[in-house]
Amino acid sequence: MIRILFFAILAALAAASPARAQDRLTVLLEWFVNPDHAPLVVARELGLFEKAGLAVELVPPADPSIVPRAVASGQAEIGIHYQPNLYLDHAAGVPLVRFGTLVETPLNTLTVLADGPVRAIADLAGRTVGFSVSGFEDAMLGRMLANAGVDPESVTLVNVNFALTPSLLGGKVDATIGGFRNFELTQMRLEGAEGRAFFPEEHGVPAYDELIFVTRPELAGDDRLKRFLAAVEQGAIHLTNHPQESWELFVRAYPDLDDALNRQAWADTLPRFAKRPFALDRARYARFGAFLAEAGLIGKAPAVADIAVELQ
Amino acid sequence: MAALSRAAVALAVPVAAWQALVLVLAPPRYVLPAPAEVLAAAWRQPQYLAHHTLVTLSEIAAGFAAGAGVGVAVAFGLAALPRLGALVWPLVLVAQALPVFVAAPVLVLWFGFGMASKVAMTTLIIFFPVASAFADGLRRTDRDLVEAAQLARASHWRTLVDIRLPLALPSLVSGLRVAAPLAPLGAVIGEWVGASAGLGFVMVQANARMQTDTVFAAMAILAVLALSLRAAVDRLAPRLAPWARER
Repeated sequence: MIRILFFAILAALAAASPARAQDRLTVLLEWFVNPDHAPLVVARELGLFEKAGLAVELVPPADPSIVPRAVASGQAEIGIHYQPNLYLDHAAGVPLVRFGTLVETPLNTLTVLADGPVRAIADLAGRTVGFSVSGFEDAMLGRMLANAGVDPESVTLVNVNFALTPSLLGGKVDATIGGFRNFELTQMRLEGAEGRAFFPEEHGVPAYDELIFVTRPELAGDDRLKRFLAAVEQGAIHLTNHPQESWELFVRAYPDLDDALNRQAWADTLPRFAKRPFALDRARYARFGAFLAEAGLIGKAPAVADIAVELQ
Repeated sequence: MAALSRAAVALAVPVAAWQALVLVLAPPRYVLPAPAEVLAAAWRQPQYLAHHTLVTLSEIAAGFAAGAGVGVAVAFGLAALPRLGALVWPLVLVAQALPVFVAAPVLVLWFGFGMASKVAMTTLIIFFPVASAFADGLRRTDRDLVEAAQLARASHWRTLVDIRLPLALPSLVSGLRVAAPLAPLGAVIGEWVGASAGLGFVMVQANARMQTDTVFAAMAILAVLALSLRAAVDRLAPRLAPWARER
């Protein structure tokens, strides 16, 4: 009797599961869900992952610095990471490769108050700059300062953790680095203060991809990754063609993000998504590696093939 | 001398076990570095670590002194003015109940990113054990002695200063010994939230750069600081109440 019941329950469970088994993929985000993840969210809401036979889970991290280690040790198949940090991870022996691009322009910004004492980067001499820990802010700031003829030693760097905007608004620091141009400037405006932005790539830092997809090297040939990225590409193109409809999909999935900050961030981020996430610009990656090595952050620039692949 | 060699042996055992674990399990170096790698990380950057150790040490010392001072003052104030004490003590309890990680960012916003916020953080953590222990000691004076003082028509204030205060000093010593290990905690938490120097800052930076060996080196130095502070308090605090030395 028990045995019949047992098998009946088993059969019922089997019948209730989806007809086609979906391949699972865990994507560790680099921060809480926000408009930077639009191609992923749009792809998911349009059912593109499902159509590709993938069950994709988007997981925000409890601690952003855990993402490279978690992906390298197998706790997630895919991570969203920063191109500059990829070189530092490689130098520290964390095995990661880039296999796709999410945001193909830098987002990092040196921000000051528009009506403050700093009108140009040269005015930063002898002042304080707040940063949130990303690992390479001093290299980036050092290059921007050198470009403007300022001695980096004269500038004090203070780790303000994630209180970038409050410390700038409160006058605790004269400038911040590590804020994203599509977020922190709007945040300041909503608090009633105008910010002025200096973009690293316009002041001597080589251009780089702010957000990339990474995985561990053994998974680089995995078919799931290819299907995942193809769906992301479709999502990015849909975003480009139907921005308003995509925004409505986004806030339907995350109603708590339907506010002025995110609406503005959506518009500001739209032009920056990679429409060709598979494509890898090897020369650009090599240039950035050389910059980091010259800044003394890593010993030697790694071979691009060691840190990035282009899925075929 | 014997104590030092015992401490050395007590330290050598877990370090040897750690090294064995690394040899056997071979974890990635960014997850668990070997003791040798941690030592190498410290060896590579002695001035860097020394500078930041000094910063944290001064925060710990200043915070411990301030926290102990405030704790003694609050406990004494509560005993001197009992009616005020009944109003103030619940506030003290609420301040203590606040999770430290919640208070830290607020303190940094108020006191800035320099040493002041770290000292404030440490003071906040330290003051309750000290105040609580001392207040208990002041409250629990032997009834017979207090009544004898009343028979001699001693004022509330004289009783407090001449009888209750000296007899409460052993409790204060206990409070200080309990508070000592908490001081480094306050300094480091303050540094995590916003700083430009200190061992907590070193750990956060090294963590972001995946330099786990440097993180462990900073942690080891912090452990040494905490143990040293504990040992110093154990040695010096009982001098406040020499008659109450444990056998």
